[in-house]
Amino acid sequence: MATMAKPRPEHLIGSNIATAGNRLPGIKDYEQVDRDIIATLQPTLGWFAMLGVAILCLLIGASTWVYQIYEGLGSAGYQPPVMWGVYIVTFVFWVGIGHAGTLISAILYLFRAGFRTTIYRASEAMTVFAVMTAGLFPILHLGRPWKFFWLIPYPNWRLIWPNPKSPLVWDVFAILTYLTVSATFFWIGLIPDLAVLRDQEKNATRKRIFAVLSLGWRNSDNEWRHFTRAYLFLAAFATPLVLSVHSVVSFDFAMSLVPGWHATIFPPYFVAGAIFSGIGMVFTIIIPLRKFFKLEHYVTINDLDAAAKLCLFTSCVVGLAYLTEFQVAWMSGNKMEQEYFWNRVFGQWTWAAWIMLICNMVLPLSLFSQKLRRNTKWLFMLSIFINIGMWFERFVIVIPSLSHEFEPWQWGGYHPTWVDYNILLGSFGWFFMWFLLFIRQMPVMAISEIKEILPPKMRRAHVEAHHAAHGTLGHPLPADGGTH
Amino acid sequence: MQGVIAAFAELDSTVHAIEDLRKQNFRDISVFSPVPRHELEEAIAAPESKVRRFTLIGGLLGLTFGYWIPIWISDYWPLVVGGKAVASWIPYTIIGFELMVLIGSLSTVFGMFALSRIPRLTMTVGYDPRFSHGDFGVWVAAGPDRAPEASELLRRHGALEVRNER
Repeated sequence: MATMAKPRPEHLIGSNIATAGNRLPGIKDYEQVDRDIIATLQPTLGWFAMLGVAILCLLIGASTWVYQIYEGLGSAGYQPPVMWGVYIVTFVFWVGIGHAGTLISAILYLFRAGFRTTIYRASEAMTVFAVMTAGLFPILHLGRPWKFFWLIPYPNWRLIWPNPKSPLVWDVFAILTYLTVSATFFWIGLIPDLAVLRDQEKNATRKRIFAVLSLGWRNSDNEWRHFTRAYLFLAAFATPLVLSVHSVVSFDFAMSLVPGWHATIFPPYFVAGAIFSGIGMVFTIIIPLRKFFKLEHYVTINDLDAAAKLCLFTSCVVGLAYLTEFQVAWMSGNKMEQEYFWNRVFGQWTWAAWIMLICNMVLPLSLFSQKLRRNTKWLFMLSIFINIGMWFERFVIVIPSLSHEFEPWQWGGYHPTWVDYNILLGSFGWFFMWFLLFIRQMPVMAISEIKEILPPKMRRAHVEAHHAAHGTLGHPLPADGGTH
Repeated sequence: MQGVIAAFAELDSTVHAIEDLRKQNFRDISVFSPVPRHELEEAIAAPESKVRRFTLIGGLLGLTFGYWIPIWISDYWPLVVGGKAVASWIPYTIIGFELMVLIGSLSTVFGMFALSRIPRLTMTVGYDPRFSHGDFGVWVAAGPDRAPEASELLRRHGALEVRNER
């Protein structure tokens, strides 16, 4: 038979290179992937309850914001010398969370890390929603939030332009670019999966919506050819972008002369911290998700183990940065810098600094143990500690510096009020509302990329199985190729 | 366009069917697959994607625009900040880089859309929902004179279903 006359070379029938090294023994074929992942789209009572809680938290935050606009920013605990508080802390926290998704989807794609395949879609969604959340905080921090667009350089009748030498203007460019590019990357990756949903959907209205969102994708060779190239270039753009965004956020601090902020270590320190916090949030999301959706055979324990190693590595980088900061202060001979770091660890802010050090530097060392890396309960608990620790890291960076500047009249305290706490709660409500809506409307895993891991059906394998069953191995093939 | 569409369950049968079609001088062939596969790409022997040109041009335009905006603003309001030059190219590199990534990425997506001919309002003749699910599809353009030959060849390679489309 012609089809069997020229067997393909072995290296051509293995898995595609993007998913090299990953195996999913619990999954039989392409059809099972569609069935399993589409099954996650059915809403349950638990999902409605969680969505209700998220919306309630959001409403608490939104109504508090209205109160703050009416009463003024003083209601949020701002008083000289501390004029940046929980809002900027939470802004940096959410931008940091938003780093892991693009790291996993773009950087690990370029590095051909197979374990990313099953977790990257949820991480990307997390990135987009986290950056959407972060973007609210500079606006919440404004006394007149309706003037936020003054930061964007656009032709205006006042003939006024923002100062392009200001780090806050760089922030506008960096965050808006990051939001646009990560959302685009997320949507482009979704297109082939939306086509699967369109083709499998029974409900006419939903089918029409998926048809519009999938842009008429047909899985043709022409589409795949341009898609794979475009995806590669987007990943190549997103990779330096991930590193640049938190570097730019760190410039908000490092470009000033404030003790504790004016340090060249800030960009790599912030980027490592962002990736660390993002991986923490990935665990917080993925571990319950794989359990509730019964997807343990997709997000395998090996994938979590690999992600835990990344978490351990970034924790070590962050820990090194913490220690280097002390060394820099000690060796600088700068009295202000030394006073500030003493005050951070043994003075006014001891409690916050030690929460940060224990959660981010000490507890993650447990991941040196393979047993703990493969224990999902511990990984989930640790991820909660990391989230708390990373929020406090930003608290320790922002507040102690502002409350202990150069002269005694610049020394003061800061007490967040119920307004700050409500808006912090509202930000979690906003983030989880979007995430919960996403997991019931869109596939939480990349259907087409998971299919790439699976070996495709082969006629040759089929024929060999036929011969093995009939004891005819080594004999010439029947005219029909042995399939009938 | 008239032609023949065939559905295959196996990858190697699809590859060999395409290779044989090409040997028989069928030139207008498309293949549908649930995942991108190098084997199919090689069998079709399509040229390299031109998306890269959109990426390069978009990136360069973004970079230029990203430097031009702050330089123009600085010259419009020539304030000396921190003793630095009115138009300081070093901090403007941040804006240049961000806009290079932004416009480069958006033009890459535009290039992909233009070259893949999406968004598409109607599915073209021959598409079958099976091709996103698990099966591979081969479409070959053939007039009434060559359609039986193409159908026979596709069946011989183990197609699950072969049908004429118009």
